[in-house]
Amino acid sequence: MASKASRRARYLPENKLEISLFPFLSIFLSVMGVLSFINILSSIHSPQKIKMTTELEAGYKVAFQMFSLPDGIIIVPPVSRLKKLQAVVDDDVRNDLADIIQRRERFINNVKAYKGALEDFAVEPEVDEIVDLLKEIRFINEEALKHNFLYEEFILFGIYPEGSEAYRKVRNVMARSQDAASISIGLEPLDANWTLNIDGTPTVDETQRSGQ
Amino acid sequence: MNNIISVDSLTDIISNSVGILIIFAVISLINDNNKAYQLEIPIEHSSDLSPVFVIAKNDALLVLNTDKLFTNAAMQATEGAAKRKRSFPLDYGHLLGEIDKRKGLIFHVEDIEGSKDWHHFNTLEKPTSALKDQLSLINPKKQFAYFFVYDEVGESSISGSGFEAFRKAREYLKSRGVKSGWKPVDSNNPANICDVSFSPLCRYLPSYLGSS
Repeated sequence: MASKASRRARYLPENKLEISLFPFLSIFLSVMGVLSFINILSSIHSPQKIKMTTELEAGYKVAFQMFSLPDGIIIVPPVSRLKKLQAVVDDDVRNDLADIIQRRERFINNVKAYKGALEDFAVEPEVDEIVDLLKEIRFINEEALKHNFLYEEFILFGIYPEGSEAYRKVRNVMARSQDAASISIGLEPLDANWTLNIDGTPTVDETQRSGQ
Repeated sequence: MNNIISVDSLTDIISNSVGILIIFAVISLINDNNKAYQLEIPIEHSSDLSPVFVIAKNDALLVLNTDKLFTNAAMQATEGAAKRKRSFPLDYGHLLGEIDKRKGLIFHVEDIEGSKDWHHFNTLEKPTSALKDQLSLINPKKQFAYFFVYDEVGESSISGSGFEAFRKAREYLKSRGVKSGWKPVDSNNPANICDVSFSPLCRYLPSYLGSS
């Protein structure tokens, strides 16, 4: 038999505990919003990277890359396939190729070791240097052909905004060079926010440059 | 009676949500960092195809009506325009012409606003547009498109003023099997059409994409 007190309790209105979820939802949505905002910002601002590897190939054609910037050019010569060519040529040519490979590797290492902005690495193309480069590429291509080795270097220009002046200078030299007559050429327009990335070496945020 | 409210579950939800969002942010950041633009490898090559010239500037494209332009230029030439090296209106796309003994017919682009001949590259995405109609007239078996692409950067621009328009038009033409070639131009080095017998720089070559 229920007591008087328990009977009263049964008919009392239920004492519900009301909790406002507003502050929790507010914090939750704020955090979500801020994170989404950061995410969107980072996706807008993080520049696309160009895969500027030293070895860019299309079949047996291997790119000798020249990036044309307002202050000059940055060259990225190929090496690894050249070493394979070195293995099939005779001794004299092998020594010549060894010198070329050594020079190219030294250049690439210098680019990689450079701690400043990579755009500062761009140099005004000198006519003599361009002529030497063209001779070198022609020599390599001819030796590859002579030894029936499927290898041909071509010059691939990557043209950054306002970088066409340096490109034009190189093309003017090429137009008058016999060595360049047999060298294929490719060119691509690049945007300023596409960064150069050589095997994880210093990157150039060209956005900063364009803002100058 | 002390009502002890446990916020464990809410904290749990919030921390889980925040954690997941942070993981998403980190993953998207890693993806962005790994995203590398693989350079296409377009290589210029000699061809029997004849060029259809296009100027790309300020995100707009102008397909050159060479018959009309050269007729107008010839009339000006008979009036002594070549000798005096003066610019004259070509009555097409707000272009000014100049006749040069080495560079042939030079096209100065002053202001493209209000010209019915220039078309924004966005119109290529529409089902029908005047630009599409003009580009559709290019016969891939007989012709290729050659672009003079303006490399001039505006205040907040990260790209040459004609780069994006060129890329879009090239993409459209590629889908139709039309080859494209291009060269960068600017106000100091404007577009010009000349004969290769005058200068080796007067060669207009199509490119093919090595990756395609």
